[in-house]
Amino acid sequence: MGKSIQIKDLSFGYGDQSILKKLNVMIGHRTFLSIIGPNGSGKTTLLKNIARNLTPNQGSIFIDEKKLTTYSTADLAKDMAVVHQNPDAGVDFTVYDVVMMGRHPYISRFKRETDQDVSIVEQALKATNIFHLQERFIDEISGGEKQRVMIAKALAQEPQILLLDEPTSFLDIHHQIEILDLLKKLNVEKSITVIAVIHDLNLAARYSDEVMLMHEGKVLALGTTDKVMTTERLQRAYDMNMIIDRNVYTGCLQISPISVTKKNRVTRISVHVIGGGGIAKEVLQRCYRENIHLSLGVVNKGDSDAELGKKLNVEIVEEEPFCDITDDVLEKACLLADNAHYVILTSIPIGRGNLRNLLLAKSQLIKGKTVFLWNTYVDATPYDYVGGEGKKLLDELRTLGLKEYKNLDDIMDEIQQSEGV
Amino acid sequence: MTISLSKKTFFITGTMALAIVLVFSTSLGAASIAPRDSLMVILSSIPGIGDLVDVSHISQAHQSIILYIRLPRILLAFLVGYGLSVVGTAMQGMLKNPMADPFIIGTSSGAALGAAIAIVLKFNQSILGFGAVSITAFVGALLSTSIVYRLASLKNRVPVTALLLAGVATGQFFNAILSFIMVMASQDVSSIIYWTMGSFSSRGWQHVSLIVIPVLAGSLVLMAYAKELNLLLLGEDAASNTGVEVDAVKRIILVVSTLLTAFVVSVSGIIGFVGLIIPHVTRMLTGPDHRFLLPAAGLMGGIFLIITDTFSRTVIAPTELPVGIITALAGAPFFIYLLRQTKKLR
Repeated sequence: MGKSIQIKDLSFGYGDQSILKKLNVMIGHRTFLSIIGPNGSGKTTLLKNIARNLTPNQGSIFIDEKKLTTYSTADLAKDMAVVHQNPDAGVDFTVYDVVMMGRHPYISRFKRETDQDVSIVEQALKATNIFHLQERFIDEISGGEKQRVMIAKALAQEPQILLLDEPTSFLDIHHQIEILDLLKKLNVEKSITVIAVIHDLNLAARYSDEVMLMHEGKVLALGTTDKVMTTERLQRAYDMNMIIDRNVYTGCLQISPISVTKKNRVTRISVHVIGGGGIAKEVLQRCYRENIHLSLGVVNKGDSDAELGKKLNVEIVEEEPFCDITDDVLEKACLLADNAHYVILTSIPIGRGNLRNLLLAKSQLIKGKTVFLWNTYVDATPYDYVGGEGKKLLDELRTLGLKEYKNLDDIMDEIQQSEGV
Repeated sequence: MTISLSKKTFFITGTMALAIVLVFSTSLGAASIAPRDSLMVILSSIPGIGDLVDVSHISQAHQSIILYIRLPRILLAFLVGYGLSVVGTAMQGMLKNPMADPFIIGTSSGAALGAAIAIVLKFNQSILGFGAVSITAFVGALLSTSIVYRLASLKNRVPVTALLLAGVATGQFFNAILSFIMVMASQDVSSIIYWTMGSFSSRGWQHVSLIVIPVLAGSLVLMAYAKELNLLLLGEDAASNTGVEVDAVKRIILVVSTLLTAFVVSVSGIIGFVGLIIPHVTRMLTGPDHRFLLPAAGLMGGIFLIITDTFSRTVIAPTELPVGIITALAGAPFFIYLLRQTKKLR
């Protein structure tokens, strides 16, 4: 059960416009393959070529060694079923009627459905959990149910291969998960090769054995999820900044899109952030979105600000946790701050370990640099764990011209207004 | 939004209605004949049971009126209504377009032009008992449809949109020529218009025998593709992935429909409305399954056209109205009523 698909030198285009460019792909039997890629990368076109809805201009496709073009239409429908995007599900038919249509390739023209056909349809209705809906008309059921009807019809074809074009688009998260759970189950229990175009990268990562990343009509990468979904590849394909880590709850790869890559905009502003304890996260995210060049320090190793900074590729000066900031480290941080246009001091709790971070700010103020304090302390009073020393130092910074704002927007506005200068 | 009668109920009721309509319409007309008598005359003409019925009390003239004037005309109306409705249903299903009818791909304009040419040029010859007008209409219908088909086909495929657009464009072109002919030959305008509104006036057994085989055989072919028509409603790609040879099926349905329509038009002229409305009305009663819908629409269309033709020849007798006027006059309000009932039109 579950047949393989081999694509050799496949090219397809409309007129002069070439959409698929010399694809060579091997999809093993019983795989759950997700095809991902930006709009216009040729995902649906490839799927339609495999489904024989479109004829390749060049190259060929084999299903278990058998050439696709040598299949009769009915035989192909017995091996491969397709669920199209927003299917036109003949509105006046009942759910049962539509699923029974899946038996078409098995029933000869002048014959009626046999008991076997009926039992296969019933199994398909049960597998997709729509048995109770069989008497209902298609236009009376919800989008998620309709999608399951189309999958049930595909199952009634008893296929070895199931192709789906964005089976979860237009569905809410509950139904998305429900459909993908169903596909995974069919893939595992019935050993059906599943190939699905999926827009949601996180869902693709979670459900598929293999992922195929398409970009401009070519396969950018094909392989296991971990291998294909790398930051570098995805950034290239989607032309945007993103962060890949593992989801805390599912343990699957998780892709967080951050910002659209702005190719033409050269980063002119740089900001050094003094943070720690997760307080600087918002500043980092905000600056990253605004395409501002960032540096961070001094922070403790393993601090959540430091973790985020690493994912955002920020230059960081770190100190071992539970230690005072050493001269060496402070010097490095000073160098980074020297190179930045602005320094943003966040409302860190002031303790022995990071007291010298305030000295860092002080040195910058003395050098005549603009230093902002994003004051989010309750009652605007710093959390001082060094017996008033921190507070004293902060007051000193104020006399040196520390610019204090309660609202981060105000700081960002001021920074960006100076951009042209 | 369907009433979904069971097949059995539908066909039993339908056949009974057909029998009643048949008897009453044969008894209506200038010569008044009792329905009972016409029933007996009809029965007596059926081989096998004919000998069991005694018709000696009915005058020879009345028997002739029924057997040679009214019965063939009524059967012809049935066949035409049946054929147009089956073709209209198939077209609507295949083209997935509720506006489709048997004439949508240029058949009517070609037939009308053919007929007009014969009328204007005063072709009086007849071949095997068929007037030149019938023959030229038949040829015109086939010609225009094949032009449309050629225009629309692209690399062995016939996209639906291309077919509809080519049908409209070719139809307009043929209509323009027809209008030109009518302007030039103004003395023939009324006969041309009369022909384009369709009529069963003075049609006889030879017309019935001409179309009975094409209509029945053609409709059987279309019914053989009922399951494919159902699948096409899910979209052409989906149908193809379920084992339907979409392009071959479309071609067969188009060719059969065209031939069937051309035969029908050649004997009756262009009777509009039946092939558009009857499929919709029937679909409301039976649901969309073509295995049931096609024969049901045929039966409905046949009965409908017998009734409307009976009206057209009796309502202002002795003058006969073109039956196309009655089909639209009676059918349109009824259709709108049904649409509003099923809340499809708001």
